Amino acid sequence: MAHQWGMVIDLDRCNGCEACVAACHAENNISTVGDEQAALSRAKHWIRVERYYEGEFPDVSVKFMPVLCQQCDAAPCEPVCPTFASYHTSEGLNGQVYNRCIGTRYCANACPYVVRYFNFFNPVWDKPLHLQLNPDVSVREVGVMEKCTFCVQRIKAGEVQAAAEKRELKDGEIQPACVQSCPTKAMVFGDLSDPESEASRLAGSSRGTKLLGEVGTRPRITYLQRDSWHGSENA
Amino acid sequence: MERRDFLKISAVAGATAALEGCGNPDHQLIRFVPEEDLIPGIATWKPSICTLCPAGCGLLVRTMQGEAEVIRNGQLGLLKMGLAKKLEGNPAHPINQGKLCPRGQAGLQVTYHPDRLKGPLVRNGPRGSGQFREIGWDDAIKQLLSQLSDLQTNKQEGGFAFVTSPLRGQRKTIVDTFAASFKHSARIEFAFFGDNVIRAANAASFGHALPPTVDLGQSNYVISFGADFLGTWNSPVAQSLGFGHMRKGRPGQRAKFVQFEPRISQTGASADEWVPVKPGAEGAVALSLAHVIIAEKLRPAASAGHAGSLIEGWWQGLPDYAPEKIASEVGMKPETIARIAREAAAHDPAVAIVGDAATAQTNGLFNALAVNALNGLLGGVGKPGGILFAPSSSAKGAPTSSQSFTSQFASTVAAAKVLLLFNANPVFAAPAAWGVRAALDKIPFIASFGSFINETSALADLMLPDHSPLESWLDDEPVSGSAKTVVSVAPPAMNPLHNTRAMPDVLLDVAHQLGGDLAKALPWKTYDEAIQTSFTALYKEKGNKTAKDADEFWKNAQERGGWWSAEESKSATAGGSSAVSAGKVKAPQFDGDPGQYPYHFLPFASQMFYDGSLAHLPWMQETPDPLSTVMWGTWVEINPRTAEKLGIKQGDLVEVASQHGKLRAPALLAPGVAPDVIAAPVGQGHENFTRYATGRGANPISILAPAAVEGTGSLAWAATRVKVARVGKGKLILFGGSLTEASPELKHR
Repeated sequence: MAHQWGMVIDLDRCNGCEACVAACHAENNISTVGDEQAALSRAKHWIRVERYYEGEFPDVSVKFMPVLCQQCDAAPCEPVCPTFASYHTSEGLNGQVYNRCIGTRYCANACPYVVRYFNFFNPVWDKPLHLQLNPDVSVREVGVMEKCTFCVQRIKAGEVQAAAEKRELKDGEIQPACVQSCPTKAMVFGDLSDPESEASRLAGSSRGTKLLGEVGTRPRITYLQRDSWHGSENA
Repeated sequence: MERRDFLKISAVAGATAALEGCGNPDHQLIRFVPEEDLIPGIATWKPSICTLCPAGCGLLVRTMQGEAEVIRNGQLGLLKMGLAKKLEGNPAHPINQGKLCPRGQAGLQVTYHPDRLKGPLVRNGPRGSGQFREIGWDDAIKQLLSQLSDLQTNKQEGGFAFVTSPLRGQRKTIVDTFAASFKHSARIEFAFFGDNVIRAANAASFGHALPPTVDLGQSNYVISFGADFLGTWNSPVAQSLGFGHMRKGRPGQRAKFVQFEPRISQTGASADEWVPVKPGAEGAVALSLAHVIIAEKLRPAASAGHAGSLIEGWWQGLPDYAPEKIASEVGMKPETIARIAREAAAHDPAVAIVGDAATAQTNGLFNALAVNALNGLLGGVGKPGGILFAPSSSAKGAPTSSQSFTSQFASTVAAAKVLLLFNANPVFAAPAAWGVRAALDKIPFIASFGSFINETSALADLMLPDHSPLESWLDDEPVSGSAKTVVSVAPPAMNPLHNTRAMPDVLLDVAHQLGGDLAKALPWKTYDEAIQTSFTALYKEKGNKTAKDADEFWKNAQERGGWWSAEESKSATAGGSSAVSAGKVKAPQFDGDPGQYPYHFLPFASQMFYDGSLAHLPWMQETPDPLSTVMWGTWVEINPRTAEKLGIKQGDLVEVASQHGKLRAPALLAPGVAPDVIAAPVGQGHENFTRYATGRGANPISILAPAAVEGTGSLAWAATRVKVARVGKGKLILFGGSLTEASPELKHR
């Protein structure tokens, strides 16, 4: 049976540092757009950290939440694509075939998580910044929609390596760039078809929830709600 | 993929690459990493060290073959070479254990920055005009030599100064030894968010002049006074690892984390209880907690040991700090103080941390000493779950000394005839009243080793650009973040892209050409030879069990990215010193009349730009700030109620004025900032720092009062009062906001 990739994000560990955001830029050749285009909502961050303030001073609290493509099992972005650029892979990823994409942006309109980013112009890297580009990831040009791939290049490399060595993939062997960088180990990636994987185990936590689960998208990412302190004045 | 296998493959090249050539320094200094390990399409992971902040995290650099346009021997060509493609934490390194912060991730762009200096330059117009012309290394070194030999032979009266970022390891040894050889010599380490105050306090309380290593992972109760320890303070990746473990790494056991600060920081946002306090009142809160613990006999006063003796009234149980007496002064409810004190005492091990703005008030040293005493009382010193002090090794050479960045900066460097600069930008990051720019203008000769033109290096007469960290040998001995002895080393991860030379190599070359005692004091031909010497010493001291001889020890260290002890240190207190007087309650002093300047001004370290030294990286400019989601600019945080009173709306351009200057930036209505506090991130507002940062945003440092932390001379950067007013329409670029709302500029389209 094919692997079924999924992720668990523990919001009790996440401290909003955004190492995942920078790591994703570096791994996936996401171009920066500059201040003027950023002001027009054209900045691209396949993963972003949302923050929610609650209360008024002095009783203020903040919650962080990294949001990336939820790799939905019932993905609203997929059926609306007229060219089958958005499609479902056998391993459960919401794939995006860049050279099928004609830029209708229907998928972005359909996505309730706002995690699809459109290339309004060709990316520019002031030389020699282009030398930082990851040769394993294609650069997206004008008119193409792009999104989080769960670092599919790392998944494929890991699978090929394991196959070449005639062995099974080990749990935790494949890590998307965001998971790899996370300083609090808030993000865990793994095979949900393997009940023994750490991701499967954590996904069953009583703190587990799905982002906008009520809209029926069946996301592959489980968020573990922020916990609270259970102690007392006299332990 | 097993990274360690790759590491073995990459097996450290540089060691075998020491070229024999002596005569021509061109051949002596530029050494190439052999490229035989390059297979097209296959990545090789090489160890390196992150140098972007003082934490000293270990890196693995993913290098792959690529084609780069480079100039070699004056000719432009396309070279197939190993190129760094991605930075990750080194899983074996004890500080960061494979993890990295966003700044570390973006370090790649330092190497590939389009505005990096590509070779030596000499000034070609008035100072500060930005006019430079290219010059060869031989001529550049001749110019430096003539200036320095005049100083040495006393042809020229006056002194020598060497200003750098904080350095460690053999790089520090070489720089300090070089500087010490001149008669009137000043050696200054510049850091805006420096750790002087915390070091002074820890020396007094515990006998260790070091920042603490916080063992969060095993703690059950964490009290932080102002320290943004998950963002930028001390060793943020090590502390984040500990934080994750303390929250969810121990099944059934979860610590409580309380943060006291006047503005909710990224770290405060993750607290279980965030408690605002008046700026500068952190020490008083710590002593009030101590009062409750002593008065209710939850811990004996004596358990604080020497750290307690430094506090007046400690042995009487701190009667002046009873919660009901100081509650209004510190801006808290008395019952909150009492409750937190009882909770902390009931959840052993508990630990207290102090840093950032709490130590950057005029009473910063008092605040730090007070928190140290509380820590001692809670038993959080030298124990698992508390603070520890990193053991040191004898890997470094002769003991060296340097001054830190204080109000004395201008007068110290003013006497210099020759000033050398390395990765320090005091013109940007000092209050105007310190007169840094004017002092530098009077120095006849300035040479800079930095890779970029910034506000300070723009004043140089000669640019001698260093390699980027990934192109250079590096060594480091982190001072916090792990209880193990850690000595990092890394050979170059890739060949230099440009016509640059490693700063320590240039200094060694110059020292040998100057001859005399200096040449004897710096016997090494190259920087890597100096590092090897220190590792040979380390082998004799500690490494006998791990390698059969010094050569194998050195080779293993290069493969792993350093050497670290197997055991953790149990270093507890070493007595402490009584040199610091206990003193009375040191209430904070603020610059500016409260009537005319009603708000406290709170600058804070930017998660993306740190102290501003990373504002030139486009990835950092476009990564949204965690709390505000602002990109590409500065913002001013105002409490919504204060803003309403002043008629300020989100995004309005406001002017923040102190007695010493004013700045303009768009307003951000922030629920987590106290109504009497105006906060702004440090980092932007560069006048001259590459195409991405120049002329962008505002620099909060430019309006700071020249106030000093009493007892240390460090800048009290949180001690300025300001007024604020709306001046017009501003432009705030928000990532979060712009996801759902069209920006006002768009509406007419």
